[in-house]
Amino acid sequence: MNAITFDRVSKHYGDVLAVNDLSLAVEPGSTVALLGPNGAGKSTSISLLLGLLRPTSGRVSVHGRTPDEVVRDGEMGAMLQQGALIPELSVKELVDLVRRLYPRPLPLDEVLELADLTGLAGRRANKLSGGQAQRVRFALAIAGAPKILLLDEPTAAMDVESRLRFWAGMHDYAAGGRTVLFATHYLEEADAHADRVVVIARGRLAADGTAAEIKAGVGGQTVRFALGGQPSAGLDRLPGVTAVEIADGAVTLHTADPDATLAALYRGTTLDVRHVQLSGADLEAAFLALTRES
Amino acid sequence: MFYYAKTEALRMLRNRRYLIFVVAFPVLLYLINANIYGKQTDDQGVAYNVVLMVSMAAYGALASAMMSSAVPWATERQSGWLRQLQITPLPGWAIVATKLWTAMLLVLPSLLLVSVVAIVQQHVSMPPARWLGLLLAMWLGTIPFIALGLAIGSMLSADAAQPAAMLCMFGLALAGGLWFPPEVFGSTMKAVADVTPSYHYAALGWSVVGGGGVELADVLVVAGWGVVLGLAAAYLYRRATVRS
Repeated sequence: MNAITFDRVSKHYGDVLAVNDLSLAVEPGSTVALLGPNGAGKSTSISLLLGLLRPTSGRVSVHGRTPDEVVRDGEMGAMLQQGALIPELSVKELVDLVRRLYPRPLPLDEVLELADLTGLAGRRANKLSGGQAQRVRFALAIAGAPKILLLDEPTAAMDVESRLRFWAGMHDYAAGGRTVLFATHYLEEADAHADRVVVIARGRLAADGTAAEIKAGVGGQTVRFALGGQPSAGLDRLPGVTAVEIADGAVTLHTADPDATLAALYRGTTLDVRHVQLSGADLEAAFLALTRES
Repeated sequence: MFYYAKTEALRMLRNRRYLIFVVAFPVLLYLINANIYGKQTDDQGVAYNVVLMVSMAAYGALASAMMSSAVPWATERQSGWLRQLQITPLPGWAIVATKLWTAMLLVLPSLLLVSVVAIVQQHVSMPPARWLGLLLAMWLGTIPFIALGLAIGSMLSADAAQPAAMLCMFGLALAGGLWFPPEVFGSTMKAVADVTPSYHYAALGWSVVGGGGVELADVLVVAGWGVVLGLAAAYLYRRATVRS
């Protein structure tokens, strides 16, 4: 069974369509990055998953059940974008407070260790730096040992060192076969820390694949030629090809290796290849193009 | 959930504003007033140091009830802490129940402290049963004020809840005759006092120390306000946390 399923989910806020007909399935144990620019619908999607928002149409399910049931059973933990701590409580008291609300929590020491807070356990929440407070919020998210961990732009407000420690903790936590979904607008974070990247823009799914595939798709090069009425079968199996688009009798092959693709196109197929165009784009520009056009 | 309640109480006891306004202030006011007027008696022959003990305990309990509910609640709602709790297995009703319960616990320090000071410094003495009745009435009687605080916290932002809670607290204390004996009011003010929950709340205590037990009218008014404000708090809580 899928850990997370979005089945044609839409969410309106008045006239604004925050999530638009989104379908997505995440397998248990995977680490997925939800990549997209600000306002793409990442936070709304996470709120829908947690049952904090209800979809306008479509269905969100977690482990085949409704978000409310899964939250009630303590199977989900989340680090939301906004979330102040209680200033009068210490790090340890805060973590222990949230931990004890779950039926099968992690041991307190282990939570502090994973979030790299052991040295800060006695400090009051109002005496923490921005990055430290973020790490406490990570600790609150994992304290109940949830099978599914949702992180909404977790590294915002973290300095470089905090980031490194944070991701190390996240990987340790995910290593136990748990499912992690994190939202980010940094391509590098998605690349470095997820085994699957889901790109959303304007509430729609824009791309979905491994980081390498996405990079090749958005940042790799394209080979275009006129196909006319010829059959297109097998084009997706050419070396280097990551995606095939056919429109108006022309084929666009997204490829990580245009030389190999071209060579195979000429030598390995019987197609009549005409009007060939080669183009490449740099990574950021292509990513922007991908998220803008959808 | 028990641990949640314990932690909630702990954090308020670490809050300086709570300690000053709620714990220190009523005790101080009692000491000053009781030492000036303590020897006089009211029209029923009860010494003012006892009447004032009830008034100041009532004021402390009222202040505590509102301070431990309105502003912390509004802040948590706004800052995202409530959302952090909403995504744990803790059910929504348990969050409010815990708030109510801890607010009731936090009323006890001011009630007890004023009583202890009255015994030690003013040598007030009453039969144990009367003490027990007094404390119980004054304790349960704070429920309407906690409900009012939670209603304010659900309705207003933290910035607005602060002055609103202060206004309600001082307004209720003043109009209810907690600071000046109700007898000094003119007839208009007496009529105002008569509809406030705070006057009848303190009257519960005044009747008990007068030896007459609680008056049914006082119980009914306080309970009535409790029901009205409780329903308002429940409605506003639902409205504030509704999942759209």
